Amino acid sequence: MTTVASQPQAGVSLELRGIARRFESTGVVAIESLDLDVPAGQFLAIIGPSGCGKSTLLRVIAGLDRANAGELRIQQPTPQRTSEAGPSGPGYYAPTPRVRTAYVFQDAHLLPWRTVLKNVSLPLELAGAARADRERAARDALNQVGLSDAIERYPAQLSGGMRMRVSLARALVTDPKLLLLDEPFAALDEITRQQLDDQLRRLWRERGMTVIFVTHSIGEATFLADRAIVFSRRPARIVLDHMLDLPAERTMALRADPAFARQTGLLFQALQRGGAC
Amino acid sequence: MRWEKTLMHIRLASILVMLCGLVGGARAADKVTIALNWVPEPEFGGIYQAQLDGTFAKNGLDVEIKPGGAGAPTWQRVASGQVEYAVASADEVVIARANGADVVAIFTIYQTCPQAIMTHASRGYKSLADVFNGGGTLALEIGLPYGKFLEKKYGLSKVKRIPYTGGIANFLADANFSQQCFVFSEPLAAKKSGGDPQTFLVADSGYNPYTGVIITRSEIAKAKPDQVSAMVKSLGDGWRAYQSDAKRANDAMGKLNKSMDAETFAAAAEAQKPLIQPPGPENLVLGTMTSERWHDLVGQLVDLGIIDKSKAPAPNECFIGTGGK
Amino acid sequence: MPRARSNRWSWLGAVLPPVFVFVVLTLAAEVWLRVRDVKPFIVPTPSRVFSAVREAPGDLLASTCKTAAAALIGFGASALAGVAVAIGLSSTRLIRNAFYPYTVFFQTVPVVAIAPMLVIWFEAGLQSVAICAFIVSVFPVIANTLAGLLSTDPALRDLFKLYGAGPLSRLWKLRLPWALPNIITGLRIAAGLSVIGAIVGEFVATELSGNAGLGVVIATSARYGRTDRVFAAILAASLLGLLMLCAVNLVGYLSLRRWHASEQ
Repeated sequence: MTTVASQPQAGVSLELRGIARRFESTGVVAIESLDLDVPAGQFLAIIGPSGCGKSTLLRVIAGLDRANAGELRIQQPTPQRTSEAGPSGPGYYAPTPRVRTAYVFQDAHLLPWRTVLKNVSLPLELAGAARADRERAARDALNQVGLSDAIERYPAQLSGGMRMRVSLARALVTDPKLLLLDEPFAALDEITRQQLDDQLRRLWRERGMTVIFVTHSIGEATFLADRAIVFSRRPARIVLDHMLDLPAERTMALRADPAFARQTGLLFQALQRGGAC
Repeated sequence: MRWEKTLMHIRLASILVMLCGLVGGARAADKVTIALNWVPEPEFGGIYQAQLDGTFAKNGLDVEIKPGGAGAPTWQRVASGQVEYAVASADEVVIARANGADVVAIFTIYQTCPQAIMTHASRGYKSLADVFNGGGTLALEIGLPYGKFLEKKYGLSKVKRIPYTGGIANFLADANFSQQCFVFSEPLAAKKSGGDPQTFLVADSGYNPYTGVIITRSEIAKAKPDQVSAMVKSLGDGWRAYQSDAKRANDAMGKLNKSMDAETFAAAAEAQKPLIQPPGPENLVLGTMTSERWHDLVGQLVDLGIIDKSKAPAPNECFIGTGGK
Repeated sequence: MPRARSNRWSWLGAVLPPVFVFVVLTLAAEVWLRVRDVKPFIVPTPSRVFSAVREAPGDLLASTCKTAAAALIGFGASALAGVAVAIGLSSTRLIRNAFYPYTVFFQTVPVVAIAPMLVIWFEAGLQSVAICAFIVSVFPVIANTLAGLLSTDPALRDLFKLYGAGPLSRLWKLRLPWALPNIITGLRIAAGLSVIGAIVGEFVATELSGNAGLGVVIATSARYGRTDRVFAAILAASLLGLLMLCAVNLVGYLSLRRWHASEQ
């Protein structure tokens, strides 16, 4: 279970035990009882059929939703600060200010009345950072996603792909230890999608945070991740937990490689077993 | 022979029928409407009395009485042809004629204008001049001609004038509050609610238009003089009957106007009697009007700037005033 | 070059059509009223109305300013109080259920009925007339603002929660800007209503010494049979309402043009 990030101590590790989530209003059981370990700095992809509970799991990890039962432990990587996030017990979640978490949604969800720069600096603004500092960090983040010349534009003036890159920059501006993405590129065209996949993987290799990436696309999961987990139909059970047997350096050309097809084939079979088709 | 006799009988009979028809006046009754300018109150007692006693019917009139309410535009309805008769006040008649509406007064209910200013007895005023010099608030309807008259006569510098919107709530709540009123209406209500009203008739200050004036279009007066005399006669009879016994008409009006109780109806009907009776000998005709008073009124309205001098109507054109014998 | 030209003349496209419609309707009304020989004390012809305006334009302007003062104060109060009440109502479902029905009171109460109370509590004058303008115009602001505050994008709400934003931050940086288009809509409606409210307020609670507001002009002229002056006052009131509406539209344009579909 080696991680391939260059700075393994930059991410958090997660431990999930017996996580369950049932929606009282509809009686739907999204997650029955889930155990999962994610080591620090790993790029984990979660694949599964629609409505199987993968988004719910991501929201529970982020603290946007409460589990009904189970434990979630998030451990800081640096030795001097092995603070565990809270006592165990049913339905608690890691308080986010103590673990820098970022979340990227399927739609960019930018504030339409703010410029790109102000959108990206929002997380730091909410944390109370000084204006000069947060603008500098925002410019850096935008640089990293290649949008330096769009700083003063408004979201309404951007294309879908550009908006998603702004969203990504916003997620990175706090230098998060845990990056959660919920089908972020699903609404984009194939070429933009592959470009962003590429950019994301590069950023992960530079910074080394733990990434959990939920997707429908087997190809995307295979390209991006160290490890892929396949969920069954609802309620979510792990059908397959697989370390991808691919080189650390993932180029565009890799997609044409037969090794790539072998990996995607494995994942596809797992999906079928889980009742996706 | 027999045949000719029958024919002659038939001819005689038909001549008799025609004669009966001519003499008996057996034409259908004139259907007309009277629009009131307020809800049914003792102010209109004589009109309802005439209907209840069948006086209208006896004089060949089939009358529908239409009650009004706040802001009911009576002279406009008569002038536009919507109704044939209505209740208004003399200054409204002059204003109407000055603006090109051809209405004319045929009968007046009140010889003395019942408009008054109601103030608190606790303030010890002796006259209207005191009210205007005594500070406090005075509520007068916006645009009321006598409001302007009083303003001009006494000045507004010492009292705050605000719009009067009906009721006595402000009067009861504020000892420095004075307001317009109908002398037998609001003061009775105020007394009943424990207030201490004191009234000053506007007429005593020199502004005394005929009030409760029945109006019609002059074209009706010209084309149907019989109908107009029938109306005037019925009104006179109705008012005489109401003056002697108001109970029946009060009951009928009470059914239409639930916010006034029987006791108040009776008290108001009694209190208004001296204002209805014309001055002079006891049996003078009810409803009479004189051209002097109309002349004075026109002059006053021009003086106040309410009508243009160039548009002022001739006093004698404003009324037909022989009264209801 | 062509671009600059279209900017210079584009305002004509906004102004000419309604002016044209106004001219056509006025001429049509003039002709129709004359042909039907409608008496002037029922409805005056437009020419009579215009001559009534020309009769004393300074007085009409002074009356309009007096009414405008009350309307603007009432409108300002509606804007501030309306938004504040909506913010309060949007906080919890319990509060909303408990108090929202009572805001409807502002919409349904006939101002004439509570006039005596206004005069007793606040004295007749500008303040009471402004209160009438407020009463009549506040509900649309509350209703529209509330709708906007309750419709915040849930994903953005999640985002703010994730970054640990407090309720004040959330209100100022997310919920209020999100609700801005709705607030502008509410203000548009309130602008015209505040003029009506001020005029009705003048019928009941103004001070009658000094300058007459438009409501007093209407009531007095009606009493004197001068319907031409009544309509002149109504015309002035309409222009006042229109001016306030344009001001709100300008604010809406300036604040929304970068990002809201309604101003693009």
